[in-house]
Amino acid sequence: SLDSPASIARSRIMFAVRAVRPLARAAPAVRAFSEAPAASVMTLNFSLPHMNIYADKTVDRVIIPGAEGVYGVTAGHTPIVSQLKPGVVEIVHEAAGEAEKYFVSGGFALTHDTSVTDISAFEAVKLDDLDAEAVKTQYSAAASAFGSAAEGSAEKAAAGVQMDTAKAMGDALGVAL
Amino acid sequence: RDFPRSTMFAKALVLALALVGSNAFAPGFQSGFAGTRAVQHTSNRRITGPMMGGNEKQLKSRIASVTNTRKITEAMRLVAAAKVRRAQQAVLATRPFSETLQSVFSGLISRLGQESIDLPLLESREVKKVTLVVMSGDRGLCGGYNSFIIKKSEARIKELTEQGIEVELVTVGKKCVGYFAKRDTPVLKAFDMGQAPTADEASKISDMLLASYLAGETDCVEIMYTQFVSLIASNPSVRTMLPLSPSGIEAEGDEVFQLTTKDGQFSVESESKPPAEAADFPKDMIFEQDPLQILNAILPLYINGQMLRMLQESVASELAARMQAMQAASDNAKTLKTDLSREYNRARQAAVTQQIMEIVAGASAATE
Repeated sequence: SLDSPASIARSRIMFAVRAVRPLARAAPAVRAFSEAPAASVMTLNFSLPHMNIYADKTVDRVIIPGAEGVYGVTAGHTPIVSQLKPGVVEIVHEAAGEAEKYFVSGGFALTHDTSVTDISAFEAVKLDDLDAEAVKTQYSAAASAFGSAAEGSAEKAAAGVQMDTAKAMGDALGVAL
Repeated sequence: RDFPRSTMFAKALVLALALVGSNAFAPGFQSGFAGTRAVQHTSNRRITGPMMGGNEKQLKSRIASVTNTRKITEAMRLVAAAKVRRAQQAVLATRPFSETLQSVFSGLISRLGQESIDLPLLESREVKKVTLVVMSGDRGLCGGYNSFIIKKSEARIKELTEQGIEVELVTVGKKCVGYFAKRDTPVLKAFDMGQAPTADEASKISDMLLASYLAGETDCVEIMYTQFVSLIASNPSVRTMLPLSPSGIEAEGDEVFQLTTKDGQFSVESESKPPAEAADFPKDMIFEQDPLQILNAILPLYINGQMLRMLQESVASELAARMQAMQAASDNAKTLKTDLSREYNRARQAAVTQQIMEIVAGASAATE
């Protein structure tokens, strides 16, 4: 399903905001405390179709690129289920530690009221493994395909998605496209 | 004098074919067979008597080539066993993902409750055309594996065409690609199977099928694959992938196999697992998207997972079949070697006896 222009714009803004406040959490309106007894730690299950990245891993918090906007999850977060858009999943293992970043292509994330978060992505790679040059080439190829495709055709839609994904990868790497 | 040698050679060829099966000339194996070094008959024997006749030399070289064949088939069996283990690990690695999907799916279905779930992938339509995906192996030397699945596919094609339903094929695996390319049923696309299917490869196939189904180009997608039952048994079966049935997804338990050894022999232990528990969606759950939209997004992921799983199971069945075929070939080679050795020894003893008789006859003639 195609995102509405509003949600695309909102997510672009969320990206920009997040770039300025790297360790800030998501908008307070989203966060609430669950009715269930809050667990003191959160557990992460991060799986791909062909392998499991983390199973029952205790982490401090996870920042998830939801389709409607990026949000963060810690222990005691309200249960939430969201589709993912191409973006970065940041896993912070220790409270003061560095985030481990994975670029995901899409999927969904589900947080239970037991502070267990399941992230199921179709493809995930470590951010360090992305090649900035390849991203630039991909973006320009997709942009030219988008420009030359007929309005409303499948090729234009596909090229649009490729552009968005390349843009997301570029944003994640800090590369200007 | 040439006559006995050529029948010996012909017999050797026929026996070799019987050993290895009609796929002896599959690419890749022929070199192993043709390039067998014939071990030269060394002369460190106690009796270097006069002419033993061409028979013994032939037998000796045959024994050497049968020994070599046995080494090759044993090696192939062990390689197949290692690959089976890896294939089963790969299957295990896919389980967490599909379990999560299954649990979320069941949870969403129960959350949506009595609302009629109107999703294109779930509704069944009148079937006028069926896309049949056939999964075979790339290579031979796996016993009846490829021919069983091809036979079953042909039977299904016949069944469908008799009902007046149009059939088109998607072939996965060089063996069935080659077979169906020469036949009447149209082939939409051909893929290679490989020895370790990846999520990427599975998604290429399932994305194509999804697009075709959603565009209305086909009304039903069925998969012919081989279910892994045990090392000796596997079950070619057919499974409807599209349209999906919600109760099918929820109720699906799983069987997990592990290749182990028992009493020095390979064996398989299986464990059945029940379907994943439905995810609990409490009342204060935030749905970032509409539950129906999330469900719609999950279904293609589920289909991708199923496709990968079926590819992996087919590969595991092919490897198990190859293990069995190579085991049989090794056993045959062992028996043949014993028989040939016995024949060789008899021939050698007969020659020695002949010599002795000649010497004795000559000596007794001389003393008269």
